[in-house]
Amino acid sequence: MSEGKRLVAFPHMGNNWPAFKSLFENAGAEAYVPGKNNARGLECGLKFSPEWICLPFKITIANFIEALDKGVKTIVMASDCGPCRFGFYHAVQEKILKDLGYDVEIKCLLQADLLTFEWADLLQSIRGTRLPLSRFKLLWIARIFFMKLQLIQLAEKLEGKTRPYEVRRGETTKALERCLKMIDEAGTHQQLRGLKHLIKEEFAKVEKAGREKIILKVVLTGEIFVALDCFANQDVKKKLGELGCEVCMGISLYDWVKHKAHVNFHRKYLEYLSKSHRDIGGLQLDIGGEAFWVLGQYIDFSRGGIDGFVHVYPFTCMPEITAKSIITKWYNDGIFDVPPLFLGFDEHAGEAGLMTRLEAYTDLLRTKKKKLINGN
Amino acid sequence: METKLLENRLKESGSSGNLYLGIDVGSVSTKIAIINEDRELVFGMWSRSQGSPVQSTQESFGNLGESLDDDVGCRIMGVGTTGSARYLVKAIVGADIAKTEIICQAVATSFYMPGVRTILEIGGQDNKVILMKDGIITDFAMNSICAAGTGSFLDHQANRLGIPIEKFGDYAAKSEVDVVIAGRCTVFAESDMVHKQQMGHSKEDIIAGLCEALARNYLNNVCKGKKLNSPIAFQGGVAANSAIRKAFQKELGCEINVHKYFLVMGAVGAAMLAREQVRAENLKTSFRGFKVSETKFIPKAFNCQGCNNRCEITYVQELVGEIVARWGDRCGKWTL
Repeated sequence: MSEGKRLVAFPHMGNNWPAFKSLFENAGAEAYVPGKNNARGLECGLKFSPEWICLPFKITIANFIEALDKGVKTIVMASDCGPCRFGFYHAVQEKILKDLGYDVEIKCLLQADLLTFEWADLLQSIRGTRLPLSRFKLLWIARIFFMKLQLIQLAEKLEGKTRPYEVRRGETTKALERCLKMIDEAGTHQQLRGLKHLIKEEFAKVEKAGREKIILKVVLTGEIFVALDCFANQDVKKKLGELGCEVCMGISLYDWVKHKAHVNFHRKYLEYLSKSHRDIGGLQLDIGGEAFWVLGQYIDFSRGGIDGFVHVYPFTCMPEITAKSIITKWYNDGIFDVPPLFLGFDEHAGEAGLMTRLEAYTDLLRTKKKKLINGN
Repeated sequence: METKLLENRLKESGSSGNLYLGIDVGSVSTKIAIINEDRELVFGMWSRSQGSPVQSTQESFGNLGESLDDDVGCRIMGVGTTGSARYLVKAIVGADIAKTEIICQAVATSFYMPGVRTILEIGGQDNKVILMKDGIITDFAMNSICAAGTGSFLDHQANRLGIPIEKFGDYAAKSEVDVVIAGRCTVFAESDMVHKQQMGHSKEDIIAGLCEALARNYLNNVCKGKKLNSPIAFQGGVAANSAIRKAFQKELGCEINVHKYFLVMGAVGAAMLAREQVRAENLKTSFRGFKVSETKFIPKAFNCQGCNNRCEITYVQELVGEIVARWGDRCGKWTL
């Protein structure tokens, strides 16, 4: 750590750490990236979390404790004034950590509306110097952040598309790791622009088998943390891929940040879809989590193009459970015919049950598709 | 070991022709089915098992030896496994496919009962409901974290009351008064039963109440408002219990069918899927023969120290020989 720079930590969520790292480093702080989420960390998080809280809370607090033990004093945690309890997480976590005796300050990255530029104040405050960030520099930092998120989204998309065809198991995962490293190392616009091509090449290099078996196309969506973090969702994306599914991510952090900056028109369309199905129970407003858009996605995808819809959420997540009940009803009443699979995640490690569900689900989709292809 | 021979037509069916083997290793029992080229069941056996899946399979194979001719092993053209230990058993016997219980049940049931729309399956530790239409699965559900209302719960209560589980149906039939027992939670159900016993209710009434509680619990916690269309098939070990069947009939208001092969339905499905796979891809089976029961396998486990996940790696090794299977890691470093 160089002299005078403030060390800042942030939650580890899926593959998005290179973007956050650059965000804080470009603002003039030193970034501490917590290690990949793991079982040991979670155990520690469980010890200090309320029993009824959701999985993301438990995992992020584990990240923070790890960072604090390494000497970090400033933590940036996102917050929202949305309708779910996530808005209070940063405050409750700060209290818990202080009670544990840590000298910590949790700064809250308010993401309710990014166009209010409150994030600029946050970046200024972690700089460790009074020298203000120029407007030009701020926009430059934001630009790099956006570009990195976009590249991560691209890599995740290609990962989902490549895995069912890989000849040697695990190669796609390795390609993804290499891409993340490249994204992390690139620092300028020019380098980042060149990366798009390199990422595509990286996945093209993975040796692929022919297309003789039926490959299913499955959407993975749901609560953002659980959907994006492969530890939280027990590698659902990988497992689906290895069972022969092209996994299309219904959600990414890039998508979310764009939405919060009011430039995500696809989300507006999904909102419209949900609203326009009022007569059959479509939500009329954002109730927190991703429920509003998950419904839109389900309607959108039911019009064709996919075989399955996997909805993941942390156990006790009110918004997602609402969406789940609505989708279940739609499917049972025969309004839409894409079979949904709902998976709630918590601290349990019952992998056998998850595998049975995923295998049975892909078998279900495959027989359905075979029947469609054979036309009987 | 307690075993039940459900079917043995091997002698009548002659000494030639291809056979397919299905093995279903569950938490309390091991099921073995052999079907012929026409998908007819020629041999079915159920046995209660308490050891590890490896032991149970080997013991069942050992028992088979008495009822089978030596040449049967050579006529097996494909082997499928199912149940929670399907991958382990697949590695040990050298099976060709390992499929989930859900798909196996569905395949076998729609063969024996064409047009079936709903399959209720209650096993030792698992509950499942499978919804079907035109011979394909449209939806399914499993009990997630709670074992209330499974076979093991009934077993336990039968023990407590000192009544053999097989007699549950007969006892319940003699019930005269409706006794309500909470079915939401195993622990509460038990304290309810103790209470009702102390109040002076007869064993018969309590057992009937218990069976109804189990049926209610299943419909609420597993089916969760799914629409159960008839015809309905009822399978798994608990289907042997006529009181539960009656309770379902009462709750659902329609006929509940229990096929005579209900105990081995999963194994039959596994055999059918193996047959399909072998025929479609012209595979030569990797079955190691029934003599597998004589080989000594040692299951072992260790904690990988590679990263903070500390995955529990389990593997099975032959006494003299190599590692047959290894799994349990998140990263793919150890999987064989």
